[in-house]
Amino acid sequence: MSPAMSGRLRSRLPTGARALAWAGILVGIAAFWVALPPLKVREPLVPFLIGLVAVGLGIAALRQGVRRLGWGAVVIGVLGIGLGYLATRSSVTHLDQVVVWSALTAAMLRYATPLAFAAMGGIFSERSGVVNIGLEGMMLSGAFFGILGADKLNSWPLGLACAALAGGLFALVHAFFAIQLRADQIVGGTAINFLSLGITGYLFIDIYGGEGTPPNIPDIPDVHLNFLEDWYFVGPVLGQLNLMIWLAFLTIAATWVVLFKTPIGLRIRAVGEHPRAADTVGISVYATRYAAVTLSGVLAALGGAYLSIGFVNSFNQNMTVGRGFIALAAVIFGNWRPWGAAAAALLFGFSSALAQRLPAYSESAAVLFQALPYVLTLIAVAGVIGRSIPPAAVGRPYQKQ
Amino acid sequence: MDERPVLELRGITKRFPGIVANDSVDFDLRKGEVHALLGENGAGKSTLMNVVYGLYRPDEGEIRINGKPAELGSPRAAIENGVGMVHQHFMLIPVMTVAENIVLATEPTHKGVLLDYATAERRVRDISTRFGLAVDPRAIVQDITVGQQQRVEILKALYRGADILVLDEPTAVLTPQEAQELFTIIRSLTEQGKSIIFISHKLNEVTEVADRITVLRRGKKIETLPAAGATEEGLARLMVGREVLLRVDKTAAQPARVLLSVKGLTVEDDRGIEQVRDVSFEVKGGEIVGIAGVDGNGQTELIDAIAGLRRSQAGKIVIGDEDVTDDSCKECLDAGLGHIPEDRQRRGLVLDFSLAENLALHDYDHPPASRHGWLYPKRLIEKARTLLQEFDVRGGGPQTRAGGLSGGNQQKVVLAREIDRNPKVLIAAQPTRGLDVGAIEFVHRRLVGERDEGRGILLVSLELDEILSLSDRILVIFEGRIVGEFPPGASEEELGVAMTGGGRKAA
Amino acid sequence: MSGTEGTTPPEGGGKVENPRTGGDYAPSVARRLALAQRAGGLLVPLVTTIVAFLIGGLVVLATTGKNPLTTYQAIFEGAGLNWFIEIGSHELRIPFTDAHIPFPWNVNDLESLAAYNLQQTLISFVPLVLTGLAVAFAFRCGMFNIGGQGQYLAGAIMGVWVGSELPGLPGLVHILLAVVAGVVAGALVAGIAGILKATVGTHEVISTIMLNWIMVWTGVFLFGLGGPLQNDTQPFVPVSNDVLDESKLGILWGDPGLQALHVGFYVALAGLVVYWLTLNRTTLGYEVRAVGFNPEAAHYGGISVARNYFLAMAISGAFAGLAGAIDIVGWQYRINTNDVMISSQIAFVGIAVALLGRNKAIGVGLAALLFAALTTGTSTRNLDPEIFRPELAANLTLLIQGLVVLFVGADVLVLYLLNVRKRGRQRAATRPQE
Repeated sequence: MSPAMSGRLRSRLPTGARALAWAGILVGIAAFWVALPPLKVREPLVPFLIGLVAVGLGIAALRQGVRRLGWGAVVIGVLGIGLGYLATRSSVTHLDQVVVWSALTAAMLRYATPLAFAAMGGIFSERSGVVNIGLEGMMLSGAFFGILGADKLNSWPLGLACAALAGGLFALVHAFFAIQLRADQIVGGTAINFLSLGITGYLFIDIYGGEGTPPNIPDIPDVHLNFLEDWYFVGPVLGQLNLMIWLAFLTIAATWVVLFKTPIGLRIRAVGEHPRAADTVGISVYATRYAAVTLSGVLAALGGAYLSIGFVNSFNQNMTVGRGFIALAAVIFGNWRPWGAAAAALLFGFSSALAQRLPAYSESAAVLFQALPYVLTLIAVAGVIGRSIPPAAVGRPYQKQ
Repeated sequence: MDERPVLELRGITKRFPGIVANDSVDFDLRKGEVHALLGENGAGKSTLMNVVYGLYRPDEGEIRINGKPAELGSPRAAIENGVGMVHQHFMLIPVMTVAENIVLATEPTHKGVLLDYATAERRVRDISTRFGLAVDPRAIVQDITVGQQQRVEILKALYRGADILVLDEPTAVLTPQEAQELFTIIRSLTEQGKSIIFISHKLNEVTEVADRITVLRRGKKIETLPAAGATEEGLARLMVGREVLLRVDKTAAQPARVLLSVKGLTVEDDRGIEQVRDVSFEVKGGEIVGIAGVDGNGQTELIDAIAGLRRSQAGKIVIGDEDVTDDSCKECLDAGLGHIPEDRQRRGLVLDFSLAENLALHDYDHPPASRHGWLYPKRLIEKARTLLQEFDVRGGGPQTRAGGLSGGNQQKVVLAREIDRNPKVLIAAQPTRGLDVGAIEFVHRRLVGERDEGRGILLVSLELDEILSLSDRILVIFEGRIVGEFPPGASEEELGVAMTGGGRKAA
Repeated sequence: MSGTEGTTPPEGGGKVENPRTGGDYAPSVARRLALAQRAGGLLVPLVTTIVAFLIGGLVVLATTGKNPLTTYQAIFEGAGLNWFIEIGSHELRIPFTDAHIPFPWNVNDLESLAAYNLQQTLISFVPLVLTGLAVAFAFRCGMFNIGGQGQYLAGAIMGVWVGSELPGLPGLVHILLAVVAGVVAGALVAGIAGILKATVGTHEVISTIMLNWIMVWTGVFLFGLGGPLQNDTQPFVPVSNDVLDESKLGILWGDPGLQALHVGFYVALAGLVVYWLTLNRTTLGYEVRAVGFNPEAAHYGGISVARNYFLAMAISGAFAGLAGAIDIVGWQYRINTNDVMISSQIAFVGIAVALLGRNKAIGVGLAALLFAALTTGTSTRNLDPEIFRPELAANLTLLIQGLVVLFVGADVLVLYLLNVRKRGRQRAATRPQE
C-alpha cells in the first residue's frame, strides 16, 4: 500500500471519541461472538465482562459528547451480554447446528442480493429527488415477469430482460405521476404497490391457474469457482454463488462510480439537492429524474427476478413480503450512499439468514424469528446509529415556468 | 463606455394568471455600463430579468443582443448568448464544493466518462485570478460566508462566458462594507468590458453605483434617467407615484420599567455550535430596541431562545417579573410575550386555516374559545370579526383561508393576533419583509403606536433603514455578541462598521 | 410549498437558499389534499372513481374477452346493491324498542339473496370505515399511516384473547373489555411509530410497515401450532379459541344462522361522527390540523408538534384496533393463522378509502361503501364463476384500488390548474400586487 493510500485510509478512520464508540460497538459484538462457534465459551462470566467493557467504552464516548454512537455502543454492549448469556445456556449441539458461519455467510449474501439491487435503485431515484416507495411493487413485478419470461421464452437472460422491462414500465408510470403531474410521491408509490400486486396476482392466476409455476424453468446459474472450493471458509461461501450475487456486487460498485465520479452522477445529485439551481445552468430536471426513476425500477425488478428465477425458482403472490421497504430502509440507513446501503443490506440479509436457521431451537418460536429482519429494520431507521441527511429536495415536485 | 446597446428589450409583456407582470417594457443596456433597474417589490424587475435569462418566455416583445434578435427560450440559450445571472437567492448547491458548483453542466472529464477534478479546480483558480474574485475551489458552499458565496455565483456566470451580468438585489444580505467591495468588483468588471444590470430597491446604492437608472412601477417602465443628478426623493416619487414618507414620524420615547431582561444568554444551534454568546440587554416599556446585524449572526437563535422555541445553554431571560429562561414557547407567550415571526407564511400563519382559526392560534385552548377541550368555532369567528375590522384587514372575512390574502394583509393578521393578547414585550422579526410601501407604513405606525401604549418592542431587522427609522436604541449583533449600542442618530457607516466586527462595545 | 415554488421568487434576503426546510422527508399529504378539499367537492372523487372503473373494465375486456358491463353488473348484484332497487312500503323497527316506522325497503324478508348480500357488504363496510378513518386521521396530521393492518391485527388479537377468556362476566362488560383492549392495542402499536417520529424523526411509512410485518409474525406465532394462544381443543389446527358467546355482538339485521349484520354497524357510524367532532370541535383536533397543515407555524404558535404526532398516530391506531376488535366480536369470533398471513388486507383498502374520501368523514363513509361493495361483490361466494373467475376478480379489485390511489394523487394537479386560473383572476382584481 502506497504511503499516499495509507494516509488517505488513515484520514478516514474515526478518531477520538467516535473511535471509542466504534470500539465499544465492536467489543459488544465480540461479547456475543465468543459464546458462539468456533470459540464456544461456556462460562457466562466471559461475555459479561467483555460486554461490560463495551458499555464502558460507550459511556466514555457519551461523556465526550458523541451521543448516537455512544448510546449505540452501550445498547450493543448490553445486548452482547444478554445474547452471550443465552448462547452459553443453550446446548453445544444447537449452537453447532445454527451457527455454521460459512453457511450463514453464504445465506446472508443470497438474502442480501435482492435488497442490494433494490437499494441501488432507490439511491438513484432518491438522489435525483424522487421518493420511491414503490420499490416493493417494482421488485414484485420483476419477480413475476422474470419468471414468466424465463418460462415462456425458455431462457433466463430473456427472463431477466422481461423483468427489467416490467420494472422500467412501472417506474415510468410512477415517474410520470410524480414528475409530470407533480402528484404526491408517497401516495403514488403506494398506488404502484397496489397495482403491481393486482396485476401480478391477476396474471399469475390467469396464466398459471391454481397449480403455480411449473418446475424446470431455466434458472440463473451459479458461478462455480473451482479453485476456491477447498479453501477454508472462503470456499463454501464464495465457491458457488449465484451469478446475480456477483452482478449485485458489480452494480454496487458501478453505482458508486457513476454517482460520485462521473458528470452524470454530479448532475443527478444536483437535481436532487437544488433542482432550480440545476435548471438555471441548463440541466433538464425532468429528464434527469425520469431517467433516474426508470433506472430504479429496472434495478428493483432485477432484484425481484433474482428472487424468483435465481433463488426459489417459483412464484407466489406477494412473494416480496416487504423486501422493497427493507431496501428503502437500507438506503436511509446507508445515508444514501451505495456502500453504506450495501452494508445495511448485508445486515438485513444476515438477520434473514439467521432467522432461517434458528428454528433448530424451537419450532413454534421459529415463526417469531421470521420477524427478526423487520425488527432490525425498525431499530435501524429509529436512528440508533446515526441521523441521516436525505438529498435536500427529495419528495418535492419541481415546477418549471 | 460604448454607445452601442449590447442588450435591447422592446415592448416586453409578460402575463401571469390575473396579473400583468411586465407591460410593454423597453430597456437597453450599453456596453461597459452599469444600468440599475429600480422599483418596489412586485414592480416587475425580477420578472423582466427572468425573461432575459430565459426562465420566462415573454408573451409579447422582442429581445436583441448586439443588434441581432435573440430567442432566449431557456437558461442554456441565455448562457450561449452571453447572459449570466446572479440570483437574489443563490442558485448554489450547499453540499457541493465551489468548483463543482461552478463547472456544473460543463464539467471537464477524462475521456468523456470520469470527472476531472484537477482540471476543474485549475480552471476555477484561473478565472478567479483573472477577475479578482478570490475563492477556494475546494470549499463546501454551505461553509463559506455569504459574500464569498456571491462571488462564486458571479464566477459561475463568468465561467460560462457571460458578457452581460444581471445582479438581482445583490446587496440584500451584505454589510455596507461588503457592498462597497461588490461595487469595486462591479467597476473592475465594467472596465474589462462587461455590462451589468443591477436590480435593487435601495435608492442610495443605486445612485452610487449606476450609470443609468430605469424605474419600473406596476409592470410599466416609468423613466430611464442618468444617475448623475438623480435624487433619492425624486427616485422614490417615480417608484411609488406619490410623495413618500421615508422616515416615520414619532415622538421621543418615554421608557418606563424593564419588561424584558436578557442576561448572559448563550444559545447553540442544532449542530451544537454557539450562535449567541453571552448576550445581555434590556427592553423597557415604551421603547423600541432595534437589533441590527447581517443575517446569520445569531439573530434567529436569539429570538428563538427568548420565545421559548430553543433551549439556551446559559443565561437568564426575564419577562416582566417572571423568569422564563427554560420555559416552553407556550409558557413564554403566557408570560406576556408577543412574537411576530420573520417568515409570516411559514412561521406566522397556517395558510390553510381560516383567518379566525389563525387569530386563535394562541387562545384556542382557553375559554371562551374552548372549554375542557371542546372548541366553539362561532366564538372564534366573532372575535375574528372585531379584530379584522380594527386592523383594517382586507381581502376576506373570518372564514377566508389565510393563504388567499396579500402579504400585507397577512402580516396585519399576525400583528392583530399578537397585539390583541396585550403582551408586555413584542418581538418583531423582519416585520416588513416583502411588503409594499403602504403596508410598511401601516406596520411601522402600528409598532410606534404600541410603543406609546407602554409595551416594550424588540425589533430585529436586516434593513438598516427600518432600524434607524423606528428604534429608540440600536444594538448591533455580530457573531453572536452585542458589539455596540448606538443612539437613533447613528449613521449607516457607524452601524456597518460594528456589523462587521470593527466596533468596540459601548460603555 | 406545493403550488408556489417557482412562480414568484420567495421573499427574503439573498443567501444560499437551502431547500432543506422543515425537517420533513417530504411535504405533508394533508396540505396537498387540502387543495383538493377546497375545490373539488364531490365531483373529483367521482371522476377519479369512474376513470378507475373504466380502466378496470378495459383490463377485463383485454384479458378475458368478457363484457365488462356484465362483470360489473354481477359484482353489483354480488354486493347486494340491487336490494335498493326494490322499493315498496315496509316497516323498520327502531333499535332497542318495539316501535315501528315506515321504511321504503324490506328489511324483514330473511330469504332475500340481495338482502343477504347487502348484509355481507355492510359487514365489510364496518372495518373499512374504521380503518379508513384511521388512515384519514393520521393524514390530517400530515402523516401516512400505512400500518393499519398491523394495528388492526393487534386489535383483533386482543379482542380474541380477552373475548375468549374470563368466563362469567356479564355480556356487555365483557364486550366492552374486549373492544377496549383492542383499541388500546392498536393505539400502542401505532404509538410506537408516533413516538419514533416525534423523537428521532423516523419516517412513519417505514416504521409502520415494519410494525405490520412484526404483528403478522407475532400473530402467526401466537395462534400457530404450539403457540401460547393456540386453542385448547384441536392441537393440530393453528387457530385461536373461539370468543365466548356472551362477548359476541348482537345481531342487527339478518338471519343469525347465517352471517348477519352485527351491532358494530352502529359503531362504524358512531366512528364517523366521533372523527368529525374530534377534528372540528376539540382543541386536540385544532392542534392536529394545524400541525398537519404547517408544523412550523404550529410550533411557533406554541403547539407541541411532537406531542401531536404521537397522539395522532395513537388515535389513528385506536381506530384501526377498534376495527380489528369489532370484526372479531362481531362475526369472525376467532383468528386463524391463514387470516393473519394472507387473506385479510382490509387495512390496505382503508388507505384507498381515506384517499378517495379526501380524509373527510362523509367521504370516508361513501368510499368505504364503494370498496365494501367491490370486495363483497367479487368474493368467491358471491360472484358467479361463469361470469368471471373470483380469484381474478379479487385481483381486479386490487387493480381498481391502485388506480384510484394513483389518480387521487394526480388530481391535485388538475384541481390546482383549474383553481389557479379561476381564483387568480378573481383575486388579482381585488388585491394590490406583491
